[in-house]
Amino acid sequence: MGERLVLLEHRNLPGADTLAVYESISGYEGLRKALVMEPRAVIEEIKKSGLQGRGGAGFPTWIKWQGVLSNPPGERYVICNADEGEPGTFKDRELMLRLPHMVVEGIIIAGYATQAHTGYIYIRGEFTEPARAVRRAIDEAYEEGYLGDSVAGSGFRFDLNVHLGAGSYECGEETALMSSLMGERGQPRAKPPHAPLPVVAGLWSKPTLINNVETYACVPHILRRGGEWYASMGTERAKGTKIFSVSGHIRKPGNYEIELGTPLMELIELAGGVDGQLKAVIPGGSSVPILPASRCADVKLDYDSCRAAGTMLGSGGFMVFNETTDIVKLMAVTARFYAHESCGKCTPCREGTRWMSKIFDRILRGNGRPEDPDLLISICNNIDGRSYCPLGDAAAWPIRASVQHFRHEYEYWIQHGESPLGPHSVPRLTRDSHA
Amino acid sequence: MTVASEYKKGRFSEAALKELEEIASHYPERKAAMLPALWIAQREYGGQLTAEAIEEVARLLGRPTVEVEGVASFYTMYNLGKRGKRHLEVCTCLTCAVLGASEVVRKLEERLGIEVGQTTADGEFSLAEAECLNWCEAGTVVQVGSKYFGNVTPENVDQLLEEVLRTEETTGVGQADTVVKVHLGRRRERARHTGEGDSTNG
Amino acid sequence: MPDSQLVNIVINGRPLTVPKGEMIIEAARRIGIEIPHFCYHPRLSKETGANCRMCLVEVSMPRRGPDGTVTLAKMPKPQTSCSLPADEGMVIETETPAIVEARRGILEFLLINHPLDCPICDRGGECPLQNNTLHYGPPTTRFVEEKRHLPKAYPLSQHVVLDRERCIHCARCTRFAADISGDAQLGFLKRGADMEVSAYHETEFTSLFSGNVIELCPVGALLSRDYRFRARPWDLATQKSICTECSNGCNIKLDHRAGKLVRVNARVNEVVNEEWTCDRGKFGMGHISSEDRIRRPLIREGDAFREATWEEALSLVEQRLREAGASTAFLGGSLSSNEDLYVLQRLWREVLGSPHLDHRMGPSFARNVDRIRVLGHTGVVRSISDLEKKRTIVVFGSDLAVEQPIVYLRVRKAWNRHDARVIEIQPASLRSPGHSNRVADFASVSARYDPAERVGAAWDLLRTAVEQRLVENSALPNMVVGKLDTAPTCSVISALSSILLEPPVAVLVGADAVRSMDMMDVLEPLGALAQALGDAWTIAVPASKVNEQGARDLGILPDTVPGGSPSATFGFNSHEILESAGKGNVSVLWVSGLDVAQEYHDPAFAARNLEQAPFVVFSGMHLHATARMANVVLPVCSVAECDGTYTNVEGRVQRFYKAYEPSLDVREEWRIASNLAARLGCPMAYVTWRDVLAEIAAKVPIHRGCTPDRLAGEGVLREEPVLTGATKP
Ligand SMILES: Cc1cc2nc3c(=O)[nH]c(=O)nc-3n(C[C@H](O)[C@H](O)[C@H](O)COP(=O)(O)O)c2cc1C
Ligand code: SF4
Ligand code: FES
Repeated sequence: MGERLVLLEHRNLPGADTLAVYESISGYEGLRKALVMEPRAVIEEIKKSGLQGRGGAGFPTWIKWQGVLSNPPGERYVICNADEGEPGTFKDRELMLRLPHMVVEGIIIAGYATQAHTGYIYIRGEFTEPARAVRRAIDEAYEEGYLGDSVAGSGFRFDLNVHLGAGSYECGEETALMSSLMGERGQPRAKPPHAPLPVVAGLWSKPTLINNVETYACVPHILRRGGEWYASMGTERAKGTKIFSVSGHIRKPGNYEIELGTPLMELIELAGGVDGQLKAVIPGGSSVPILPASRCADVKLDYDSCRAAGTMLGSGGFMVFNETTDIVKLMAVTARFYAHESCGKCTPCREGTRWMSKIFDRILRGNGRPEDPDLLISICNNIDGRSYCPLGDAAAWPIRASVQHFRHEYEYWIQHGESPLGPHSVPRLTRDSHA
Repeated sequence: MTVASEYKKGRFSEAALKELEEIASHYPERKAAMLPALWIAQREYGGQLTAEAIEEVARLLGRPTVEVEGVASFYTMYNLGKRGKRHLEVCTCLTCAVLGASEVVRKLEERLGIEVGQTTADGEFSLAEAECLNWCEAGTVVQVGSKYFGNVTPENVDQLLEEVLRTEETTGVGQADTVVKVHLGRRRERARHTGEGDSTNG
Repeated sequence: MPDSQLVNIVINGRPLTVPKGEMIIEAARRIGIEIPHFCYHPRLSKETGANCRMCLVEVSMPRRGPDGTVTLAKMPKPQTSCSLPADEGMVIETETPAIVEARRGILEFLLINHPLDCPICDRGGECPLQNNTLHYGPPTTRFVEEKRHLPKAYPLSQHVVLDRERCIHCARCTRFAADISGDAQLGFLKRGADMEVSAYHETEFTSLFSGNVIELCPVGALLSRDYRFRARPWDLATQKSICTECSNGCNIKLDHRAGKLVRVNARVNEVVNEEWTCDRGKFGMGHISSEDRIRRPLIREGDAFREATWEEALSLVEQRLREAGASTAFLGGSLSSNEDLYVLQRLWREVLGSPHLDHRMGPSFARNVDRIRVLGHTGVVRSISDLEKKRTIVVFGSDLAVEQPIVYLRVRKAWNRHDARVIEIQPASLRSPGHSNRVADFASVSARYDPAERVGAAWDLLRTAVEQRLVENSALPNMVVGKLDTAPTCSVISALSSILLEPPVAVLVGADAVRSMDMMDVLEPLGALAQALGDAWTIAVPASKVNEQGARDLGILPDTVPGGSPSATFGFNSHEILESAGKGNVSVLWVSGLDVAQEYHDPAFAARNLEQAPFVVFSGMHLHATARMANVVLPVCSVAECDGTYTNVEGRVQRFYKAYEPSLDVREEWRIASNLAARLGCPMAYVTWRDVLAEIAAKVPIHRGCTPDRLAGEGVLREEPVLTGATKP
């Protein structure tokens, strides 16, 4: 199938981050089109496109938009989730850096469709370069009247603010992001069945739409070329294109935009092939279960096929590992990540992630115990489904899958106190994660 | 007579106070300016969130000090007072780890004469490991303040250090300033276009 | 918030009907199912709750198919019952194998970093973590790593120590400080497994309510510094009581051992203190078991006291009273029980024929009838819990959290939970009160007056009400209308102009006004407003000592008999009593409880006259400055050593219970008084305190309902006196 460039078509066009160049590639046409439609009709177009959230969960976008629009009149907000923190993912970074107007345009259309007048783009604090690009785009959009009291002369008012985080993966979780945006510690907030959805009561308890950067970036194209055109790409149940951030032991790392449903192995080919021999792939960011090479052959990159293979499409953070990769060490890094990023609010995630990380440290010090693999699985089971927000689940899934698929490597470490792949295996570790 | 808040004079400059007010105007509640206010404070207090900085933010936002300290200590980027002027953060998360981040860390430790988590005696450098910086295509990634360095290897570490030394920016102040500036926009200009701005503009 | 709509749910196969929105954990309680939990607390906000994950249950929701058939869809993940609002058709399972497993997992997580130092932990024996582990926990530990190490015992406040290794991060204490006491001095720092509870930069937690977090903490992380290592819970006996440290009448439990008070915990009374206490009460009652209690009667000999028998002491007092007759006076009494006060005033009025009784420490000694005329009632809060129904609450001249701690919590709750608007009109000195429970922190308007402007501030409030047409001139007394233009005004008026006094309104007038010579001038405009608005408005001039209201109601006043009616003859007020005693015109002065030489508004005046008084009897627990000036000292029982009732600030008569036999040679005051009456030839037929209580209920109309059985629960709000003489001037 090859690449199918929609969002990234002009990624290398010099100046594509400026308004003038962006307009020359049909920029803001989607917005102009939307502004003469009824908000409901805009949502209808999104519905036709079959667009699903690109932030990780793949939730149908139009349902959220509809949810916000159907509230009684009143203040409502639109948020762009640009916290991109999922290990292995760097697509939002490139979109913001090279094509910030595309993201801004998508957010304005979403604002119009949901009849919100204020938007926030929450960018992770480390992303100062992408944030500057977005800032410049917003300033230009104000100057040209695409933002402000009368968007493109339509009389529709929309203001867009930039808000930066300050270092926390959990703030990518939508309710934690709202806490952070409201000036609090980045801890998640109640959701159904305990509290209303954000589309009913989100930021400051007002109806709030939150979508990922890439999701918004799809919107201008859908408006411009029609939902049906967009839906013609991809598969029956996963429409359109998706950007995969390919990294690891791969010859040409980078972002690849492909139609959903493209075979996994084809993406590897597109990215120049494995640097070495394929051992495993994590297809959707660190939170999804690892796929051993043996299972990669038939997998297609869409939601259903990934699920059937025991993993998930996630955020599209596609990490490739070759034969030198020591899975136990790889998972030690993963465990350390979640222990570091757990917000601390709920018991299973706060205690479970740290405990697992300590177990990995001990195994890697040569003090593994025969019961450790089962203990890890049991801890994963005790976190999975019981934490306050999905970060706990995300910590449990990859580790549990790694024990299931690579138990022999754990056993080797435990028996011998060293890597089954010898001293040159990767990743090499700097030190205990919690010395 | 309403209670006048008995503000202790803080270190926020007039310009900083104006920035804060502009940022606060983006939200329906003042508390939402917490993160940007902490960034402003870090810059105004020379790159560190000292106790006085936290107290000033608490006063300016009308929030309890413990709440502000709780927010500041939740996030990893604020400097609560242990870092060097140039704070090097090496991503040692998954992709960078398999691509050799630990060698980069070792090399930096060797060159700086400190270990991860430490600051050089002259206060010039500090070194830390970071979780995913999300530019994995360029692993190993090193972040210094508002700058990302990609494809760092033990071989080009010296080049990186030179470049870091060439820039004037110190991490605590420079990064904070960049972040603050990104919050500030040209929303005022809009008034000119719609013709309802103040006349001094025209 | 539960609403009035009812829904049908099923818990463990049992159908029940509950208010829609009631949390499932509460609904389960209705049918006797206790779902284990740590972080949940019904009075704390749900917003930051549901974090411990102990209360997980399985949930199925009805789902209507396209053909109209309803099927049950089980939610894939278990849900926390503490935050799950009941909804129609919900089916809950609390004991499935998956749930039992989940609980075991959660407990294991909570225990891995817990030091398990139960044998030396003060919470041992009454620890939810310990108890839940016993019932639901894992049999052994699988945790072989190093536990978290943190400095032990960080002194969080004057009264509370924090042991962070034991903390399970339930956020109960932080939520208490943020939602209930409002000082917001506790919070979480850092994140993940490094997260810890702290006050800002480990500074002191200066809340006036810090002790509550000890009881809220579901483990032994927050402990009382006083109680630390003093006893184990299972060694303690406990008794229901009433806090004696202010007039709010908090319901408490006295935990005691070997005839000594060991600690004070809150006891639930929804209409008074809910389940809170303030630090003054929780940590301030130690004096009832202190070493300096008076152990037996004392008789002055020269410059010193000698110990005496009761017989000796009482016959000496008897002899002096007999000689003095009507030239005796009684001062104090606001620390005594209703039973004590009733019998004491009988001794005075009926046996000695003296009308000279007063409990007030000044400076204003306005006649009670005048006060009632101005206020329309005796100036009680009427109902602490009703403050929640007010739309506007004005705090006038009061450092409320200090003067009326529990009233303060209710005012804050009215603001926090029911959106009441709070206005404070305060003396300038209250700008920085030196504690963190300031009304200013949540008041919509904080106006400050100079002490010289106090009366003007009160008139400004009335003028604001008139301006807003909350009240018409015609509804105000002519005298007051006449003064609207001429009475003083002050800067407060401009601060008030911006706010709306939406009824119902309550005004709480505090010490700055009450403890001033201006009291009646301040009350004149406020009382007129209160009367004009009737029930839409309340004005309260709250009592401050534990039974000050009882003393007011039961005639420890020179012009009022028990029940509030004017007495036939008017006696001396406190000032006159002291003055006459100093001049020798009062030959026996009896002081009860209060340290008059210190607490009188003009201490030097009081001390000088006490010094010169011919014969002073003191009845009380401690040998303070006033007691030291007495000729005879009669030691009395503490609240833990006898039964009785107090009347709190809202006029609620509440029962306290004897916790243990006194180890000292002390007696109840009512017994002392009735013994003296008998000696003086007028025996009173009281055998137990119940006889006195019954007589009060029978003879004092406002105490009609105060029978022992009715007093057992939330206490009884005594009626308001009907004033025959009080008409609109
Ligand atoms: C721990 C955690 C981290 C997340 N991080 C991100 C993120 O960085 N960016 C993002 O768009 N979504 C992230 N999500 C998903 C969001 O919660 C949310 O589903 C998404 O923003 C919705 O947008 P979409 O519908 O456009 O995908 C995260 C979720 C979890 C549980
Ligand atoms: S799972 Fe729990 S501790 Fe982890 S991030 Fe979510 S709420 Fe915080
Ligand atoms: S009691 Fe429900 S989560 Fe803690």
